[in-house]
Amino acid sequence: MHKIYFLVLIVFITADVKAQQGEYAPVKDLEKFKEQFTAVAAKVQTIKSDFTQEKNLSMLSEKIVSKGKFWFRKENLLRMEYTKPYEYLMILNKDNIYIKDGEKESRVSVKSNKIFQQINKIVIDCVEGEVFNNPDFNTTAFESKTSYKVELSPIGKTLKQFFTNIDVFIDKKDYSVTTIEMNENSGDNTILHFTDREFNTVIPDAVFAIK
Amino acid sequence: MAYKNLQPAPGNVDYINKFKPDFRSALYKTEVDVEGHHLSGLLLIKTLPDSSIRIVFANEVGFKFFDFEFRKDGGFKVYYIVKQMDKQPVIKTLRKDFDLLMFRNGDVKASFLRKDDQNLYYIFKKQKGFFCYVTDPGGKELKRMEISSPRKPIVAGIMRNYKNGIPDTIGIAHENFNFTISLKKIER
Repeated sequence: MHKIYFLVLIVFITADVKAQQGEYAPVKDLEKFKEQFTAVAAKVQTIKSDFTQEKNLSMLSEKIVSKGKFWFRKENLLRMEYTKPYEYLMILNKDNIYIKDGEKESRVSVKSNKIFQQINKIVIDCVEGEVFNNPDFNTTAFESKTSYKVELSPIGKTLKQFFTNIDVFIDKKDYSVTTIEMNENSGDNTILHFTDREFNTVIPDAVFAIK
Repeated sequence: MAYKNLQPAPGNVDYINKFKPDFRSALYKTEVDVEGHHLSGLLLIKTLPDSSIRIVFANEVGFKFFDFEFRKDGGFKVYYIVKQMDKQPVIKTLRKDFDLLMFRNGDVKASFLRKDDQNLYYIFKKQKGFFCYVTDPGGKELKRMEISSPRKPIVAGIMRNYKNGIPDTIGIAHENFNFTISLKKIER
């Protein structure tokens, strides 16, 4: 009896996945999409946004949700501040990373950590519109009625260890990145949703200052 | 030998299981310090429907360090471990530490109760060395936990402030090398 339930469940899950993918078809005019996305991104000097991060542990049927604020300024200035349910601050200022975790502070050079470097590059590339030019990935683009999905498949061994692919979702209305989904080999994933996005507001230096 | 200076004490060693945590699903803010390296992240301990317990450690931005399974029959499986940590001594040490705090005394050769003026000692003799849980004489408070070599304690642990069977604070410190784990429960 259990077997039948299990089979039915599998069929439903598979059907559901197909239905979701079914909404996305390959982008018809890829060059035009790339051009527009890059052009819009080029005009973005700053982004201020709220974010929700979901860590999905598939086999455990468990979701760890955290929330915070995101600031970005060209070039290479990024601040992610987790506020719930824990406090954690990460500032990327050019080649330096500052992390404040409770009372503990640490400073590292991006260059000293290859994986950090590559993941940071993905986030920065997404917001700077350079996502198609990242030599670490093969990119494929899909579209639905309301959004584009750019699928990044890692080429190098290091990234392949961690990710099967990274999906970047872009709103068709304003060409802004709404979601980044990092899928692991295990079936687990981490999803970053950006909400209440504000573009080109003034963000003072102090936000990105590493003390 | 470890614990040799203690006096025999009457009672049932199974009594200690009242402090065995009930990790249905608990998320901990976690700090790990090992030989000068600092790691922080989130540790999830969850009991699955088949009674196995999974322990997953990932950092705050979602980067996973390890995913272990502790089976009901005492079995253990590494579902994932990041390359930098994928070393037998590291895995063995972590497994033992988690075994201690989950009261997994499956391979016990013998168990006995000992006491001194201040404490009661619930001692479980393992293949090599001991697991030991120390309470006050009345058995009201779990003062500390220890992993001992045949000669002396090598790991000290604490679990404090139980709420609904789940401790709010957990700490583990190794005596023979620089390795500490501290967990603070996150309310979700």
